[in-house]
Amino acid sequence: MKKLYTEHKFKRYNKRRALKSLRRRLVFTYKHTARNKSFLGKSWADIRVEKEVEQGGYEKVTAPKNFTFIGNTEKVIRFISRLREHFDKKRKVFVVLNGVKSISYDSIIVLLSIMVRFKSHNIKFNGDFPRDETANKILTESGFFENLFKNFREKDTYNLNKEDGNSIHTHAAKAVDSILSAKVIGQATKTVWNEKRRCQGIQRTMIELMLNTNNHATIDKEGERHWWLSANHIKEENRVCFSFVDYGVGIFKSLNNKPSNSKFYKAMEKLKSLVGLSNNAGLLESILKGKLHETVTGFYFRGKGLPGIYEALGRNSFSNLYIISNNVFADVVNGNYVDLNNNFEGTFIYWELNQTNISCNG
Amino acid sequence: MDSIVIKIRDFTKAPGPRYIKEEVRDANNSGERFRDSSLYPTLLKVITESKKLIIDLDGTEGYGTSFLEESFGGLIREKGMDYKIIKDTIELISKEEPYLIDDINKYLSDADGKSKG
Repeated sequence: MKKLYTEHKFKRYNKRRALKSLRRRLVFTYKHTARNKSFLGKSWADIRVEKEVEQGGYEKVTAPKNFTFIGNTEKVIRFISRLREHFDKKRKVFVVLNGVKSISYDSIIVLLSIMVRFKSHNIKFNGDFPRDETANKILTESGFFENLFKNFREKDTYNLNKEDGNSIHTHAAKAVDSILSAKVIGQATKTVWNEKRRCQGIQRTMIELMLNTNNHATIDKEGERHWWLSANHIKEENRVCFSFVDYGVGIFKSLNNKPSNSKFYKAMEKLKSLVGLSNNAGLLESILKGKLHETVTGFYFRGKGLPGIYEALGRNSFSNLYIISNNVFADVVNGNYVDLNNNFEGTFIYWELNQTNISCNG
Repeated sequence: MDSIVIKIRDFTKAPGPRYIKEEVRDANNSGERFRDSSLYPTLLKVITESKKLIIDLDGTEGYGTSFLEESFGGLIREKGMDYKIIKDTIELISKEEPYLIDDINKYLSDADGKSKG
């Protein structure tokens, strides 16, 4: 044996080193055992999520079991709010979809638009698949996963199309693009009537919504936020479902927060005092029915957008209009206007085109 | 009486937003642009020549309310034209969307009412 190993100094050093090593191994074994114990009774899908989240440093956000924006508005808004919170703090997220039992296209467009926002800001966005076969099939067929692995840069317009089968055609922009909306309608009419037609009511609706996003989605500046327009073609039913979403401040917050030099300053107070309403749901109904536009804006020639959409619905230009903005849910066709407990920061509009709606040939 | 016809579909197939600043690049389809480049100059010419101006609204993809309001209401609000002269000179045609004629008449009367305080 070398003389070095018998020296007191070395023995002390070696003992300390061995103790440290033992401590490290014990801590590792303890943590590993605890981690494995935490996996007991869990499915492989759950374990995979846990591992991905742990190793990738993700924030886990679980989607509601009933992932339909119109059918389960409160829970989906909470889900969106959590994602928005992480986006604002630039935290990477892992969206847990494995528990989703039912999913709708309106939720997929919301999820898709959120994903592009994350990716375009270089914030990692990951997730898993629904275990439920039907939900998985809807999500896969929507083309969502094809976009999940793409890279997006921050830009003014996005086109996310999947041309085959039942699919979602999604566009995003900041400007008022009536040429694009006409193109989207042209494609939709081919699904509905097997020929290209014009639908002026839907064109009007899209222009008004784009204008609202362009003019009012941010408090102090115009043309800052994207709108997202998505058309879901259901060929076997000759039906197309449209979803429009923006992540601006929403209708009511927009009216509430206009700066003092704005034409919309104190619009909410004016409105509520005028009609004696205390809730936003009633207010939305009054705005849609055109009772309040002049008062809202203070300018008689503005604020005709939402009433214009309502009139188009009344003329049977489209069917099944739903509006979700801030704390209001509106099933407009059935006259069901509800105040929500959760606040959606933005505006979501859904409507459908089918063979019973009016259109123009040529 | 002789007449001149403006077909809006010849100006643009897809009428766009209210203001030029809101147009998508190269779209050239706002109500403000239509009013300033086509409607207002033609209207002045027609009035000078004591003719009628027929405006054909058909054949487009559809109108936003802002486009129509800025085009027609803007004649009174921005160009200071007289409501009665406009009403006497303009004839609107819209077979595809007849309600547009009422809408435009309302925009004109609203603009007239406000311009007179």
